[in-house]
Amino acid sequence: MNEMNKTALLECNDLLVGYGSALETMKIPFDFSLSSGTVVALMGENGCGKSSLLKTFAGLLSPVAGKVLLNGKPLVQWAPRERAQSISLVRMSSAVPPRMSVREFVRLGRSPYSGIFDSRTAEDNRIVEESMALLDVAVFAERPIAELSDGERSRVFLAEAVAQQVKVLLLDEPNAFLDIPRSHALFRLLKKIAVDRGMGIIVSTHSVEYAERYCDRIMVVNGGSVHVAVASEARKNGLLDWTEAFDAE
Amino acid sequence: MSLLKKIILPLNLMLIVLEVRLRRLLIGFVALVVLIFLLCVATLCFGAVNIPFSSVVQALFSPGADVSSNILWNLRIPKMIAAVLAGASLSVSGLALQTVFRNPLAGPFVLGISSGASLGVALALLAGIGFGSVGVLGSAALGALLVTSIVMFAASRFAQTGVLLIVGLLTGYFIESIVSILIAGSSSESLRVYVAWGMGSFGRVTLGDIWIFAVSVAVGLALIGVSLRYLNAALLGDDFAHGLGLNVKRSKICVLLGASLLAGTTTAFCGPVAFIGIAVPHLAYLLFKTTNHRVLLPGAALCGTSLALLAGLFPASVPLNAVLSLVGVPVIMWVLVRGSGSRM
Repeated sequence: MNEMNKTALLECNDLLVGYGSALETMKIPFDFSLSSGTVVALMGENGCGKSSLLKTFAGLLSPVAGKVLLNGKPLVQWAPRERAQSISLVRMSSAVPPRMSVREFVRLGRSPYSGIFDSRTAEDNRIVEESMALLDVAVFAERPIAELSDGERSRVFLAEAVAQQVKVLLLDEPNAFLDIPRSHALFRLLKKIAVDRGMGIIVSTHSVEYAERYCDRIMVVNGGSVHVAVASEARKNGLLDWTEAFDAE
Repeated sequence: MSLLKKIILPLNLMLIVLEVRLRRLLIGFVALVVLIFLLCVATLCFGAVNIPFSSVVQALFSPGADVSSNILWNLRIPKMIAAVLAGASLSVSGLALQTVFRNPLAGPFVLGISSGASLGVALALLAGIGFGSVGVLGSAALGALLVTSIVMFAASRFAQTGVLLIVGLLTGYFIESIVSILIAGSSSESLRVYVAWGMGSFGRVTLGDIWIFAVSVAVGLALIGVSLRYLNAALLGDDFAHGLGLNVKRSKICVLLGASLLAGTTTAFCGPVAFIGIAVPHLAYLLFKTTNHRVLLPGAALCGTSLALLAGLFPASVPLNAVLSLVGVPVIMWVLVRGSGSRM
């Protein structure tokens, strides 16, 4: 009940998403709303349309049907720059330029707030340093991102999104490259920043353990439809049955 | 407590780092400006006839009818301005292309923009389409634009940037063959003019039409300048730039228009000038150690200007492109050996 009273940061009605092959797999429109202070795990088999869903939420893909609302206003009506100040999609697979340093990358997070000549204020610099400290990447701020390990790089990507000071954070498999302790730390951190900063976070992951343990709700894309349940009840409601249903013949 | 430490320590570190950074920037820019000033003076003083500095100053501020004034105003000043404009525009164009295509080996030549300009000039000079210097300029810019759109078309069809280079190179070969056919059917007089144009030189621009050159370069620089925010984000790809609230399509068109205008104009006025576009962005990075285009764009412009002025100082009998290749090839080799090519 408490969930319902919180402000809906991101909302979708009768949404149908798809791109390429996933266009055919998602068949049933769904409603969803993301409230501040919560972390939602997005789960499903590879190719089920998780990434397409995240891209649609971020405005990178147009919905096949239905609409997406950000802070109550349709996503398409947002000016790009203001949208970038409210929502961010972080993908760990982004190719990084060989020469860019960690600090230079995190500073890009302030780009939506900068003028035509892309300058940074003292306030911007403070936010950049804070974000790097929060994600524990300040120690290697001067190193090129291309030389970091995958785990370190994931944290740098997150630091950039934090510096962007968005209300809605969409993460595409942030723990794909992380070891177990780092993954636990990451999910704890996600919950913490969601609560501290009143953010709503959707995080796609293949790990049932982290989803059940650290996330508030679990959203499952399976068999062409999307279902959402409170994390503690997802298993009971049969939302996770698909995880063990694969028959290898 | 630990969070406080986490924030305060890096803040101190940041201040030190920023100070070092700032000093590096300041020294770099001041050194380049001084170097450019000295090279400008040298360009005015030295040549087939050496003019003493005092005469140069006198001819500059109170031009008379003497030989020094004549040489200065009709030959050396236009040459100096042409070198400055060409150096700055080719290197800015190259930097912008390398960033947009996310390829360290991109440049006006490799992507075929310059061969497009060559085709335009060949059509104007050899096939008689267009007339006067504006006609040559116009056709060079048009040719450059045409090839850019071919490259852009390829860009929209293929995700890999490697394909683009191949398309650019192939287009270059294709144009070369068109030009050879044009050459076969042209008179020896127009052919002589075209071959001379193809050598690359800063000495052909006259004071009368240098303003066209300057205005085109200014427009090209402005188009790229207003896209600074995009250029910084474009290093991470279009989706990323979109996520930062940028109008990717518009910015990309803006940058490519600017880059082809710069390269096309320069090629029209000075002929194909080699290696500045591809090598100077890397020199600028070596000097300033940043990927921030707020620093890199002016840095590359200044580096390119210095290199162009330096190359222009060699006697007219030494081909400009030979001098530039001597500098350019080692730089590109360095980029390849360092392996950043494969990682980009």
